[in-house]
Amino acid sequence: MKIRYILIIVLILFIIGAGVGLRMFFKPHADINRLKPDFKVEAAPLIDEFQKAEDAATAKYSEKVLEITGKLATKSQLPNGTTLLILEDEMQGISCQLDSNWVTANQAVIQSLEPGKPVTVKGVCKGYLMEIKVSPAVVVK
Amino acid sequence: MLRKLFILVFVVASATAFGQGKFISKNAYISFYSLTPLEDILGESNEAVSILNGETGEVGFQAIMTTFHFRRALMEEHFNENYMESSKYPKSKFNGKIENFNKDMLTAPVADIKITGQLTVHGVEKTITVPGTLGMQDGKLVGTSKFQVAPEDYGITIPSVVRDKIGKQMDITVKVNYLPYGK
Repeated sequence: MKIRYILIIVLILFIIGAGVGLRMFFKPHADINRLKPDFKVEAAPLIDEFQKAEDAATAKYSEKVLEITGKLATKSQLPNGTTLLILEDEMQGISCQLDSNWVTANQAVIQSLEPGKPVTVKGVCKGYLMEIKVSPAVVVK
Repeated sequence: MLRKLFILVFVVASATAFGQGKFISKNAYISFYSLTPLEDILGESNEAVSILNGETGEVGFQAIMTTFHFRRALMEEHFNENYMESSKYPKSKFNGKIENFNKDMLTAPVADIKITGQLTVHGVEKTITVPGTLGMQDGKLVGTSKFQVAPEDYGITIPSVVRDKIGKQMDITVKVNYLPYGK
């Protein structure tokens, strides 16, 4: 009788453990569209901050969600189909790789983007490598 | 006066030559791949920067480790936190030289090359020689490379529980479309 109870408890614990494990294993990527920005910034001062003190800026912004407003410099597609927006300066600006799921659902928004016009994007800051890298990102407006 | 003019011409000429000689990509592709019994592990980044010096055949790569994306969020977490320690070693880099380089390689069709240089990953620098290709494809200067690295060589310890599941060698694939860097 006692053994039966123990067996049942062990079985329940096993199922809970397996459930938690599988949940962790299949945990989806964070949906960038739903994340609240940690910082709301303008593109030009942000670039300045990284160029003047890369280490400090990296420590402050890396892996944080940024909402950045600036001038759209270029809109292009990478060989793998990813949409790439560059803000402010083509060579040393802010490079934003858009989230592919978001792009599929928001083709009209991407079509309407025009270089030279202001744009606001939200994405995860990855640090500085010739330019500020933000990925994945979505267009806010 | 003549001397000043000569210096000016010389400076302008060398500056132009310098500008013309370099090629850049800010969206070079790099992937890590490991075959495991449970499932394939593939991390890809489209955000590496590469500069190729068309005069000397020197080539450099840099990548931010957190730009590598995996299919599963958990893999990305493990990659950055347990293996690469991306907050401590945010960037990896490679500085090397194409063996027997000559300028014709930049305009000829894609051909095999060999590159020797220093690869720094996880704060550990190693000299490696890797095969690759370089040349014109559809009007663009394209470079590729495929090679293997052993995580252990770079001080990356893989926990014993999963050591047998992750291959001892990881396949690295690199693809770059270069643009002339005129600035």
